[in-house]
Amino acid sequence: MSFDELGVVGLGIYLLALLAVAEVARRARRDASPADHFLAGRDLGVFVLFLTLYATAYSGNSLLGYPGEAYRRGFSWIMATGFMMSIIVVFHLLVPRLRPLAVAFEFVSPGDWVRHRFGADRGGRALLLGVGLLMTVALANFLFAQLKAMGVMAAQVTGGIVSYEVGVALLAGTVLFYETLGGMRAVAWTDAAQALLMMVGLSILLVWLLGVSGGLGEMTLAILESRPDAAAVPDAVECANWASTILLMGLASVVYPQAIQRIYAARSGRSLRQSFALMTFMPLGTTLVVTLIGLAAIPRFHDLGGVEADRVMPLLLGEWAASGPLASVAALLVLLGAVAAIMSTADSVLLSLGSQVVRDVMGRSHRADSTTRLGKRIAVGVMIAMAALAMAARNISLWGLIELKMELLVQCVPAFLIAAHWSRLRARPTLLGLVVGSLIAIAGVFLDVKRIGGVHTGVIGLAVNTAIATLGSLLSSAPHSSAPQTSAAPPTRWRAAQSGQPSTS
Amino acid sequence: MRGPRGHTLNPVRRCVRRVLLGLVAGLYLLSIPWYRESGASAPLVFGLPDWVAVALGCYVAVAILNSIAWLLTDVQDPEDPGGDAA
Repeated sequence: MSFDELGVVGLGIYLLALLAVAEVARRARRDASPADHFLAGRDLGVFVLFLTLYATAYSGNSLLGYPGEAYRRGFSWIMATGFMMSIIVVFHLLVPRLRPLAVAFEFVSPGDWVRHRFGADRGGRALLLGVGLLMTVALANFLFAQLKAMGVMAAQVTGGIVSYEVGVALLAGTVLFYETLGGMRAVAWTDAAQALLMMVGLSILLVWLLGVSGGLGEMTLAILESRPDAAAVPDAVECANWASTILLMGLASVVYPQAIQRIYAARSGRSLRQSFALMTFMPLGTTLVVTLIGLAAIPRFHDLGGVEADRVMPLLLGEWAASGPLASVAALLVLLGAVAAIMSTADSVLLSLGSQVVRDVMGRSHRADSTTRLGKRIAVGVMIAMAALAMAARNISLWGLIELKMELLVQCVPAFLIAAHWSRLRARPTLLGLVVGSLIAIAGVFLDVKRIGGVHTGVIGLAVNTAIATLGSLLSSAPHSSAPQTSAAPPTRWRAAQSGQPSTS
Repeated sequence: MRGPRGHTLNPVRRCVRRVLLGLVAGLYLLSIPWYRESGASAPLVFGLPDWVAVALGCYVAVAILNSIAWLLTDVQDPEDPGGDAA
């Protein structure tokens, strides 16, 4: 059996296994409520929570985009290990504040926090809509990037037997099927399986990579010979970009809707903190490995520019697979691990999109089963639209897509992080800051000014956004009449939530 | 400081956690090679250019300190009278 045929069989087995997990998740369903569908009944324990956080955080961008970026930029891409870790650091600012409120008031979508914190007057509703729209655009962008990566990887795993377009359709259809069938429970359980596959694949790849390169020292010497600038001390602009990227990724990733929903979905606060304590080590076993893969490709492939650099990992694996039958199986495992990473991120994004659009954009915050059904329909529509787009627009760099998404998402930071710690923050200045910050980020994209002095335009937008939100709130008159709770839940509402009565927030 | 059900959070844990997070912030600053002459070639340390080895060392330390900080973090649930403060 050829490597390509082996790939078709492996991919088929993998997809069937996912469908089986989805069926088990469907049978475990308790009811058709939004909390059960979108948050798995708020019952994710440490093990599954950790694996689903891991699988969601490490996406197709991480496994394909990051090696490509390491290939382009050289050793300074070690920054990726730092910025992926910074996400778990920044969560310290949000989790202890958000989690008790999420449990007490039964939050389902990120906008439930905004609704609770800023109230239901015109300013609060407008901010909720603004945050909802911004997150929806960012998530749709993220989903598009995952679909694009799905097509590339499906074609790579099967040696082209499954084309890019068929790969997008096949994998997107599978994700859609198990997500609508089993909701967050199916997503989390398949994420767990996918994370294990990814960990095994990357471990094998690291061992092979160091073996074939003759160790780190030999690899670095080969890079120095091939492209000395890749190992030189970075200049001031690159250092500024390093710091800016840590800020951008750390802050923006914390307001990922799917990450926020996992804070809601945890079985307990203890599960959450233990999961984050484990998660903080994962960049060393994942991002560092994919960075080394990209670096190892520098002396091997000399002519990969632009979008082509995103193909360094598949190219390296192809080279490895050609060296023998055992290597073929191991390379296939790594490739399936990459497919798993992509699908696990896509499913989480899709699930978040459904709840986000229904509750935060359309304003249907009640707990009726119809909300769940509508969320599923929206997920189907978005998936079909994004899959069609992924088939039509292939020539966009994955890292470019990540940056665009992050620069928009980071504008939501004041509405979450500052609002969680500063009770005087008001809805209207926060909304104005969000709009201005987003316009700066979007202008940067359209004018092709991604960075100024190495600092992302989105980070500059966030600075302006934060200044407007805080100064505007300070200049506003008396404290807000519906000043929100930012640290504790009032007992009456907590009792109402416990007894299953509809929330009035 | 009091949690949702009125129990007192452990001030020593809070203080240690803050110190750890301060150290993490310092390590992030140290990980970026501001202090080096740009474009200079670098000797290898553990098979990596020295500034890369420093950055990686910082990130390993960040992982350890941040993990401890998370284990010291009070993430309370309203139904858990003891919370994570114990």
